[in-house]
Amino acid sequence: MPDLMSVVTTLAMIVVVFGAVLLHVAYLTYFERKVLGHMQDRLGPMEVGYHGLLQPIADGLKLFFKEDIIPTGANKIIFTVAPIISLVPALIAFAVIPFSDRGPIADINIAILYILALSSIGAYGILLGGWASNSKYSLLGGLRSAAQVISYELALGMSLVGVLLLSGSLSLAAIAQGQAGGFWHWYAFAFPAPQFVAFVIYLLSAIAETNRLPFDLPEAESELVAGFFTEYSGMRFAFFFLAEYANMILVSCVGAILFLGGWQAPFDFLPSTGWWGVFWFLPKVYFLLFLFFWIRATLPRLRYDQLMRLGWKIMIPLALANILITSFLAFVTR
Amino acid sequence: MASRITRLLKTIFLVEILRGLTLTFRHLFVRSITRQYPHERPDVAKRFRGVMSLLRYQDGGEKCVGCGLCEVACPSNVIKVVSAEREGTPLKRYAREYWFDLSRCVFCGFCVEACPVDALAMTPNYEYATTNKRDLLLSKETMLALGDQYFPNQPPKPAYIGSCESEMYLLSAKQQHYPTKSDDQG
Repeated sequence: MPDLMSVVTTLAMIVVVFGAVLLHVAYLTYFERKVLGHMQDRLGPMEVGYHGLLQPIADGLKLFFKEDIIPTGANKIIFTVAPIISLVPALIAFAVIPFSDRGPIADINIAILYILALSSIGAYGILLGGWASNSKYSLLGGLRSAAQVISYELALGMSLVGVLLLSGSLSLAAIAQGQAGGFWHWYAFAFPAPQFVAFVIYLLSAIAETNRLPFDLPEAESELVAGFFTEYSGMRFAFFFLAEYANMILVSCVGAILFLGGWQAPFDFLPSTGWWGVFWFLPKVYFLLFLFFWIRATLPRLRYDQLMRLGWKIMIPLALANILITSFLAFVTR
Repeated sequence: MASRITRLLKTIFLVEILRGLTLTFRHLFVRSITRQYPHERPDVAKRFRGVMSLLRYQDGGEKCVGCGLCEVACPSNVIKVVSAEREGTPLKRYAREYWFDLSRCVFCGFCVEACPVDALAMTPNYEYATTNKRDLLLSKETMLALGDQYFPNQPPKPAYIGSCESEMYLLSAKQQHYPTKSDDQG
């Protein structure tokens, strides 16, 4: 039976993290549009507020007040539930993300398994939403999403194994703690087995997992209108949208913790305790998020067979080889 | 062989993708070419071809003589001229009605070139979007108002129309003796 004080602090942390994540999601859309715009020599949103700073709020209000349409042939229950199935796992996964050395909301010792499991459940939302819409575009988008998520989750999970071998823990807080003492101790560069190959595989699989360009086959505009959320509008559409961006933040957080040292400062003479941890953690997350937009602005969408070939013939063998080499080196130098 | 190895290395280290990434990153700092339209308007060229207008002389008389050459010159059948004689002066004509369908106009400017009295002019106005298609059918009055708005300082009526010189020319033309059938017989 936990005492009242700890319950209150936990609730307060939940509220703070939840609010921060939702605010980040809102302004991530703004950030994306600005980055994409400037990379294409445009300005991005400029009208609402100073340099368009209120644009996410205006968009949110618009989506909130839009008419709620359920197509005639759609399965009403699944159609309603699918966006929630998509959004909730993306948000509750943040319970295990440690933002500083004070640890996450819930420090469980299987945090990585928990996150992988939840990201797989999120794929159900996409698949069910695509099926329940009773539209060919949605169905094809959902099917593509299912195939893509299965292919890339293997590579994603296996790219994490190297880090787990080195750290000997599945808890994100323990993994980040193990990378203390300068950037050469971060697992992306760490002796004895630098995990930069795994880092690249992780990033590519993460982009594919979150259905971002160049792997956005489930919602390829030129082929499938909008993919699995063709029939969605208003708040339900906003849920899918929120889920996509929350997932982006989530995979960026996980990547920053596993490969870039989480809240650890880049040099060991710099402080990384308390709020300093957040100070070091956020730039890493922002850099990874920027990388998402950067890659989106640079690369065209893959064809479907190219996507599958990249996943099964290149990423998974590479990840397996990385596990072998890492475990060998870790065993030798132990 | 060596080229194959470099190609393989390039593929492994994603060289081409990194080059693409540097290109897009450089463009992040290139000055954007967007013009914030309603706040910042473009400089329209001096001879910009916008909405058509009809002109007047300095004394307020319409320049148009209702010849209908603009109607003939128009490639998309935009113009409709109903010509009429001026009351009391049978030799002078004017456009009793002048219709200009802006929804079909291609802004080629052929009508302006065809006009013998320079009665047509293209204004620099390009903001004529409307929610009602009928607003795009311009009548003579609208076009004259547009002309007054955009080209207010027009020259006076040239001497050759209706002036004493022209009257004398007409008189001499009437007095001139043309050979007729009776002349041949006589």
